[in-house]
Amino acid sequence: MTSSTLLHAPATDSQLALSDDLLKLLRTTTTEPRPDEQLEALTLAVAADLPVLLWGEPGIGKTAALTQLASSLDLPLTTVIASVHEPSDFSGLPIVGDDPAVQGVPMAPPQWAVELVRAGRGLLFLDELSTATPAVQAALLRVVLERKVGALQLPPGVRIVAAANPRASAADGWELSPPLANRFVHLYWVHDRDVVVRGLGGVWPRAELPRLEPERLPEAVAYARRAVCGFLQARPTLIHRLPSTETRRGGAWPSPRSWEAALTLLAFGTAAAVSREVLALLVRGAVGDGPGLELLAHLDRMDLPDPESLLADPPSAELPERGDLRQAALEAVVAAVGARPERQRWEAAWKVLARALESGAPDLLVAPASTLAALRRDDWEVPETVERLAGVVELARRADRSVGRATAGAGRAAGTRR
Amino acid sequence: MEKLLAARLHAVKVRPYLAAALFALHVVEDRSVPTMAVDAHWRCYVSPGFVARTPVEELAGVWVHEVSHLLRDHHARGERYAREHEEHGPGQRTGAGSPAAEGRERLRRNIAADFEINDDIYGDGLPRPAGAVLPSLLRLPDGLLMEEYLRRASMTGLAADLAWLDCGSGADGQARPWELGPEGAHGLSRQQRDAVRFRVAEGIKGRPGDAPEGWRRWADEAFHPPQPWRQLLGAAVRAAAAAPGVGENHSYRRPSRRSAGIPGVLLPSLRRTPPRVCVVIDTSGSVSDAELGSALLEVAAISRAVGGRRDLVSVISCDAAAGVAVPLCRAENIELLGGGGTDLRSGFARALRSRPRPDVIVALTDGQTPWPSAQPPCRTVVGLFPRPAHAVDEDDPDYVPDAPPPWARVVTIG
Repeated sequence: MTSSTLLHAPATDSQLALSDDLLKLLRTTTTEPRPDEQLEALTLAVAADLPVLLWGEPGIGKTAALTQLASSLDLPLTTVIASVHEPSDFSGLPIVGDDPAVQGVPMAPPQWAVELVRAGRGLLFLDELSTATPAVQAALLRVVLERKVGALQLPPGVRIVAAANPRASAADGWELSPPLANRFVHLYWVHDRDVVVRGLGGVWPRAELPRLEPERLPEAVAYARRAVCGFLQARPTLIHRLPSTETRRGGAWPSPRSWEAALTLLAFGTAAAVSREVLALLVRGAVGDGPGLELLAHLDRMDLPDPESLLADPPSAELPERGDLRQAALEAVVAAVGARPERQRWEAAWKVLARALESGAPDLLVAPASTLAALRRDDWEVPETVERLAGVVELARRADRSVGRATAGAGRAAGTRR
Repeated sequence: MEKLLAARLHAVKVRPYLAAALFALHVVEDRSVPTMAVDAHWRCYVSPGFVARTPVEELAGVWVHEVSHLLRDHHARGERYAREHEEHGPGQRTGAGSPAAEGRERLRRNIAADFEINDDIYGDGLPRPAGAVLPSLLRLPDGLLMEEYLRRASMTGLAADLAWLDCGSGADGQARPWELGPEGAHGLSRQQRDAVRFRVAEGIKGRPGDAPEGWRRWADEAFHPPQPWRQLLGAAVRAAAAAPGVGENHSYRRPSRRSAGIPGVLLPSLRRTPPRVCVVIDTSGSVSDAELGSALLEVAAISRAVGGRRDLVSVISCDAAAGVAVPLCRAENIELLGGGGTDLRSGFARALRSRPRPDVIVALTDGQTPWPSAQPPCRTVVGLFPRPAHAVDEDDPDYVPDAPPPWARVVTIG
């Protein structure tokens, strides 16, 4: 070492110290509360102990979200980059002992697994899943499903989250095999422009994580079971449907396993009283877009007022605000009358329609009113309530006249062209 | 109000598959709206004056027009387009964009969205309202998407005449002064909007005879937008070429380089065997040269990317009989022979007869061919040029081509 480097050493030190100070300043950020649906969905799925797969372009903050989640759940975070590992890192490394024929070959678990087991709890983050080779993915099946790494059983306090890049951006990606895909709740991670800009300005969002409310637990389970079982009874073909097209391989698809996940998520979502948006993200992430949307539509119908109770007490009937739902509720009432036609029920249904006229748009009533009118038996007199619906009849006539004019006009135009 | 609702009934009568969406709209009366407009939260703003001076049957057309903006998600697509093309999107008031320029951009998106809608929703009991803009105004073809119209035409000439045109933020994604915003009453949340759109799409798919072509296409793509076939074909060939047994995978045949450092532990090593790809090309008369050219270029590029050396890729052109396998390295300009009827089975047989045998067969076809009855002993990717459902065969009108067999990975091209 020459004397000149000795002389400069203190200067270098202070430069490094200064850069440390600068870095410290840069890393000092504050947080602000901000609702974040995707983070809520992630938290709920992790709380429900279902493996989650985050899909997202590289560099949009999946890892940052995981770090925040781990700290807010107070779990140590273990990150394993799946694509740089070998199958044996997940199924155990075979170690040849003195006499393999007698003692067998033990499969030694890797260090991160041993540490996870020792900690007893933690968040296992399997990054870059889609770029792992098929053999590694096959080995991961066991980790994700049975929570076993080699001979080591991961404790129940360990939660599993994985991340993958969508196929369009994964340059040499492998795609996820359908069996592995079916074990995950798929969440699509997108960045919010405002959040990024504000975050770079020093203020990152802090999501209010959903909390389970103890008094709602039994009710939540009953609701979720009723919803999923009622839905699958009506649509049995959706119980198991392997994706057939190239575009949907490696995503969420319905199977008994993923329906069980959807049921669990529904119960957790109800117990935590999260919004429909978050529920939609979770359910669609578990069973796929189509079946998920159908289940959500089924939930909407479950929320409709019961036709029998509307018929029992028409004056105090509470009908949904939204037009299409209101019409569905009224049609359910008319269908209930049609199923058990009695004069008293028929008259009650007219009262429900009159009630709907007081509180909403009249054109919704046209279809249910005409069906109800057709249900009349010869000996039933027309109740007075029907007169209050005269405006509806006039509206329907007006529409009919307009349709007549439009078709006649089109006929004329076609005629001249000919 | 009565008149407006009668018009909605008219619309429901002639377009029953849109009923759920039409009834889900919440009507807001507002004198500051020029005509009728929608926002992204499925509220419909209506000028009482406009309703008074418009006949019921034309109002019905306006209803369907406005709900089409919402069903086709024009607000999100408009915003996305603006972002991608660095135009002045909403929430970006600072910077170069003057209010006038922003207004022009908004109008341009509105016009393009109207083009997409107006070319096929009218007729059949729904008269076209006066002032509905059509692509023919700019001598553009019908049946394109909003984004394509935006790319193709500047629309500046039109904009001056159509300054009154305003379908609200539901059409272009830009907020208006009269709108109630996301916090206002009676808005639909994103999930509710998705649910309504999904129900309408399912209704159209359930009774495909009732809806015109444009709506059927929308219903098919509303929740599963067509994916870029280039990437899909690439991914399929990659996956097929590199799946276990062929390409890169772990092997215990040779110890890993890591083994030296960890005595007593057996580690597998990563071995790669480059795959042999054989491309069978349907050169029957029904496949156009442009289609084949584009697909063939892709396959060549993909197989290079897979690591297959070019000498490992060969091409067989096949109509009713199969040609000879031509290695890609020797055929810079592959001459594709053929033009008659199709029987890809001979192509498959020829590919499997070639020595050494291919690891992957990529078949490019329009699917109007018999398929091999048994799965070939190698991975198969089928690139399918889409054809209308009704195959035309004059000798045998009942002929329906078989779908590609389940053992092949199918990518729809184009």
